[in-house]
Amino acid sequence: MNELYLGQFAFAFYTLIVLAGGVLAVSSASLVRAMLGLVVSLFGVAGLYLLLLAEFVALMQILIYVGAVTVLIFFAIMLTRASADGGEAEGLSGAGVLRAVPIVLIPAGILVPFLAVYGVAGLPTPKNVSPAELGAGLLGPYTLAFELISVVLLAAMAGAVLLAFEKRGAKS
Amino acid sequence: MNPLVYYQVVAVLLLGLGLYALVARRTLVGMLIGVELMLNGAGLSIVAAAQLTPADAVLGQLGALLVMGLAAAEATLVLAIVLVVSKRFGDASADAPSELKG
Repeated sequence: MNELYLGQFAFAFYTLIVLAGGVLAVSSASLVRAMLGLVVSLFGVAGLYLLLLAEFVALMQILIYVGAVTVLIFFAIMLTRASADGGEAEGLSGAGVLRAVPIVLIPAGILVPFLAVYGVAGLPTPKNVSPAELGAGLLGPYTLAFELISVVLLAAMAGAVLLAFEKRGAKS
Repeated sequence: MNPLVYYQVVAVLLLGLGLYALVARRTLVGMLIGVELMLNGAGLSIVAAAQLTPADAVLGQLGALLVMGLAAAEATLVLAIVLVVSKRFGDASADAPSELKG
């Protein structure tokens, strides 16, 4: 019984981290602070993965998202030579917030009642899958998906290099 | 209410936060942050559904890993697009590239 309460406490704690980071990420007037909020939120999601016994996914979350994607976005902020506020200094515009609120409420208002009514009765505890089984899956039935994601990454890199090296004087 | 529903509700909240940022932000980088939040919600939802139901857990975890790979590819491309926009229009706001030539 004690472990159950501990698990609920951990879930509430990580959810709080996720939501606090997310709110900072969407509401901060400074883009650098918004990125800090995103990093906090990503760590919270990694904690939720750990609670789900998906420890390999949690590690990959920290390596790929916190390690790579965040650094990429920081580069985007730096290379656009924006000031620290990144052009968000005026804060969120009133019309933008007015437009955004219904756009958030419509999917949430549809999905959450559906979850409450038709939610599948899940298992009480998550399953345990070792990284070895994940590797066997990647080399077995899911090889095609693995190769395709490699091709997508290669194409994205090549496209990014091509775009970034565009000639400055070229009129187009 | 069972644990799966709680995880799905957290995923929906992440989706909502991401949509809010996507619509309300002025700059392309701010919108990219919103997209990353949404993709995180998607990954969380996939892993929770795989781990807490009798479905194939390996498939769910690999699906979440593929979502992360797609997010990395998408962030790379958006970085290049932000660079091009800021080079041509002087700033990286979403309104800058709204004028047609001619």
